[in-house]
Amino acid sequence: MTNRVDRRVLLRALVVLVVAAAAFVVLTAMGSPALAAGTDTAVTHAVAGSGEAAAHATQAGTIIHAEAAAPAEPGDNRVVQQLVNGLVFGLLLALASVGLSLIYGTTGLSNFAHGEQVSLGALLCFFFTTPQPVSLPLLPFEFTIGLPLFPAAIAAIAVAAGTGWLQDKFLWSPLRRRRVSIVQQMIVSIGLSLAMLNFIQWWFGAERQRLTTSIDERIDMGLFSIGISTLWSVAISLVCLGGVAYFLMRTRTGRATRAVSDNPALASASGIRVDKVVRLVWMMATGLAAVGGILLALYDNAAAFDVGARLLLLMFAAVTLGGLGHPFGALVGSLVIGVAVEMSTLWVGTDLKYAVALGILILVLLVRPQGILGRAERVG
Amino acid sequence: MNLLLDSINELFAPATAAFALAAIGLNFHFGLTGLLNMGHAGFMLLGMYGYAISTSRGAPIWLALVIAIVVAALFGLLLGWPTLKLRGDYLAIATISAAELVRYLGRSNTLQSLTGGSTGIRGNDFKFTFEELSPLPDENITFLFWTRHGSLSSSWWLVIVAWVAVALFALLYWQLARSPWGRVLKGIREDEDAVRALGKNVYSYKMQALVLGGVIGALGGVLWALGGSVQPDSMGRPTTFWIWTLLLLGGAATVLGPIVGSMIFWMSLVLIKGLASAFIPSSVLSPVEIEPFSLVLVGITLMCLVIFRPQGILGNKRELAFND
Repeated sequence: MTNRVDRRVLLRALVVLVVAAAAFVVLTAMGSPALAAGTDTAVTHAVAGSGEAAAHATQAGTIIHAEAAAPAEPGDNRVVQQLVNGLVFGLLLALASVGLSLIYGTTGLSNFAHGEQVSLGALLCFFFTTPQPVSLPLLPFEFTIGLPLFPAAIAAIAVAAGTGWLQDKFLWSPLRRRRVSIVQQMIVSIGLSLAMLNFIQWWFGAERQRLTTSIDERIDMGLFSIGISTLWSVAISLVCLGGVAYFLMRTRTGRATRAVSDNPALASASGIRVDKVVRLVWMMATGLAAVGGILLALYDNAAAFDVGARLLLLMFAAVTLGGLGHPFGALVGSLVIGVAVEMSTLWVGTDLKYAVALGILILVLLVRPQGILGRAERVG
Repeated sequence: MNLLLDSINELFAPATAAFALAAIGLNFHFGLTGLLNMGHAGFMLLGMYGYAISTSRGAPIWLALVIAIVVAALFGLLLGWPTLKLRGDYLAIATISAAELVRYLGRSNTLQSLTGGSTGIRGNDFKFTFEELSPLPDENITFLFWTRHGSLSSSWWLVIVAWVAVALFALLYWQLARSPWGRVLKGIREDEDAVRALGKNVYSYKMQALVLGGVIGALGGVLWALGGSVQPDSMGRPTTFWIWTLLLLGGAATVLGPIVGSMIFWMSLVLIKGLASAFIPSSVLSPVEIEPFSLVLVGITLMCLVIFRPQGILGNKRELAFND
């Protein structure tokens, strides 16, 4: 790791930052003279955005609710509240991005279809748990499953991991065997993402689906409040991430995974069955994405077919920030992105919070393309 | 029969021309230089905004076009600066993020009075300067089997202008691709280090290609907007992926590939939707499901193309543009 800071790189970052800031200021000055009124406008803006898609409106609605409720209770602090929200969101995001990072590490593939795995997990859980009749695409009859939430989530995760296995068995592993270049594989994953996104929409429709009808009870912790089911989500997510860490650091297969990440050829030469490891990684990644999708759907109250597509770039931002291919970097990156996204709503409109994450991503690529934990290497 | 006429109508519709033009821009990026620009819709959206906003504020048509071009060129410069030194997949992630950033900014309520928020800018606010130029009569005109308005919205006038623009830029691509400049770009696509060893400034060449392709993409966006309205969510990631699909379908690094690809893409979308609604009973595939169903097929087509026939219909196997 070089400690010498490249002056040109800093200069470049500075200029882009200044230009972006200037553009933003000019645009806001032209666009909305009311911005100076501060955070209150953010709330009214969000209310005014009735033209937004229903999905966004509901989401904005819940956020407005949280914002509006915050000043009313004494002892509540919006900054702390947003920080906590950000940490929670970051942890849930980490579940999905760790998988993305593992896939990148072992196969070198930037999997653009990973976002759809998140939506698939959430909506499969809905499929198993909803008391309403459901149907499968192309089959003209309906039936009711209606499992309780917990078994439904397990079933959804199992099916999602199964899709990972199927994908690797019938798509990625043949492609690797044919020595299809990484760039080609990336475009294949883009095609897969387009197909899956529309398949999920075809299956579940464009509406937001609620996994559970129960209303989350919020407990007041002095400086902030947090829902009880959110606490459960955090616990589950910590257990899952801890499990991944234990697997990678302590188990034999986990060491093999890291070896494949480091150097597939060498790993193969030392007797590790690379294909087995990669298949396991695919199942883990898709399973984790499903866990993340279900927990995020519970956190956001509902999930739509495009929830993962909107999160995909946040995941890429997190993974790049932490260093492509470093699972722990993905965790750190997700937390940073989560906090940045939620904290940014203090200053910019809630409909711009994802834009902040993408801005961070581009800045990271400017200054330190290898990420926080990545080794300094030539990436161009 | 109607279906056949409809799909032939789609062959020369303004939307087809707009996507063909955007794909020619992407062909400069990917086909010629090998740049993985996954944010082409961002260029298109910026062109649309540049044109629509300046026209609705009273700019004449030439100024509006210049503004659209300048905005796209600036975006290309700003985007290319940090990313063109990075490896291909980094470039892809950076461009896709930048394009989404543009879309988020455009649809945000903060810029409501400038960009119209998520509802966008209505067509009537910016189409008039273009429609006033139309020499065609102000009424519906039927040519052979197809009826369009002479000069309003997606009119015969727009059809003519759009295809002339596509032809001009295809000609430009043809000329530039066989010029010394184009040969350097092809060299970069095949082996960047070799070109660098010859003393060429690879970074600068890549930047020129990125800006030129982006500007053409922005003009494609303007054509698209002239046939409808400026709607930020119509220029999301799926749009970029469609352009990729049709470019790879027609054949990257060919002159006519983007045009043929766009025609086949739009015609088959109409055909699939028409055939599906005609032959598949609605209990199996209800009308609202036909749209996602046809787009599933688009995704699968993209996958199969990349795996089995990366050179597309017209492409040359030896001129494979997939390099790491």
